Amino acid sequence: MTPFHPGDRVRVRPAEKPGHVRAPDYLKGRSGWISCVLGHFPNPEDLAYGLSGMPEKTLYRVSFRQSNLWDGYEGPDGDRLYADVYEHWLEPEGER
Amino acid sequence: MSSVHDIGGSSGGPIDRSQHDVEDWERLADAINSALGGKGLQTTDQHRRAIESLPNYRDLGYYERWTAATEKLLIENGILTQAEIDEKAGEIERRWGGS
Amino acid sequence: MSEVHPHEEVRPERSPYAARIRAMEALLVEKSVLTEAEIQDRIEYMDSRTPANGAKLVARAWTDPDFKERLLSDAKSAARELGLDATHEAELIVVENTPVVHNLIVCTLCSCYPRAVLGRPPDWYKSFEYRSRAVREPRAVMREFGFEPEEGIEVAVHDSTADARYMVLPMRPEGTKNMDEEELAALVTRDALIGVSAPQAPSRAS
Repeated sequence: MTPFHPGDRVRVRPAEKPGHVRAPDYLKGRSGWISCVLGHFPNPEDLAYGLSGMPEKTLYRVSFRQSNLWDGYEGPDGDRLYADVYEHWLEPEGER
Repeated sequence: MSSVHDIGGSSGGPIDRSQHDVEDWERLADAINSALGGKGLQTTDQHRRAIESLPNYRDLGYYERWTAATEKLLIENGILTQAEIDEKAGEIERRWGGS
Repeated sequence: MSEVHPHEEVRPERSPYAARIRAMEALLVEKSVLTEAEIQDRIEYMDSRTPANGAKLVARAWTDPDFKERLLSDAKSAARELGLDATHEAELIVVENTPVVHNLIVCTLCSCYPRAVLGRPPDWYKSFEYRSRAVREPRAVMREFGFEPEEGIEVAVHDSTADARYMVLPMRPEGTKNMDEEELAALVTRDALIGVSAPQAPSRAS
């Protein structure tokens, strides 16, 4: 898994995964920037089913331009949305 | 297709800013959930997953979803059975004078 | 309003889930999975968490720049300095409003909230309307609350999608230079700590 650093451009994987997932649909396939590393946590997608969630996954805060997320967004270009996204939901921007 | 709880960005009407007084059973639902978590008998993510998979998610209030999910997990984790919860709940309702 | 005492044991409660949670409580205690005392502890823990805790943190940050630094870098230990135990909390992150950015908190997937500091979230925060609209049209949502950031201020929405809980550190209003910490804390509302509004200096009347 690629380790990301603040400032890196990333894309939220446009994948569909059944079950408990903390990557919201509205961010799937959207590009943003790594804002910071929040830490390492047991994987919630496993914890949800009584598993250990190990090994831990890196959690990133990712920033998105609101105008890239919504058609006709009301507000200046600088408006941002931040979401906390696990490493396995992120890929380097440009990778297909 | 997104799940029933994954609603960020969908359209919605005005926000109702009225507040109801938290009822005792709601405080209890909150407390039991947190106490079970503290004992390692369930995780936040299990509880979220149970909430998200409720077929009547949209029809329930917040603590109703919490209660239904806690019930589901207690049964799933083999701590209580459906039959004993049903029976006990029936007793309580009868004591309250419900039918 | 009902005339029943709040702790009356056999009060009928309207939701059909009330009887179910009370049934689970009785069974869990019967089977010694939980004790009454443990349950009571959790109730008291949550009852003791209120927006006043957040207001205290903010007022201290406004008057003590070193504390503010610590609040922004490690909110849990900063809270502990004021006697506020946030250990039950997931990660706690405080985001600062500045002359260039205004922050707004939401949880679209459930209703994550800095409960260990502020207590149980308000009903509107848990509503489908707030959860769905706050990310897409934060400015319209804030207008509904009667608040509009000043011209030129950018809005940053934080969707608490994972293991962190967010609280806003609002800007100290103009004209509060002579106020002490307690007076300042009184200006900080729950809504300002979520970001749907901002603290206002008291009007200068009399």
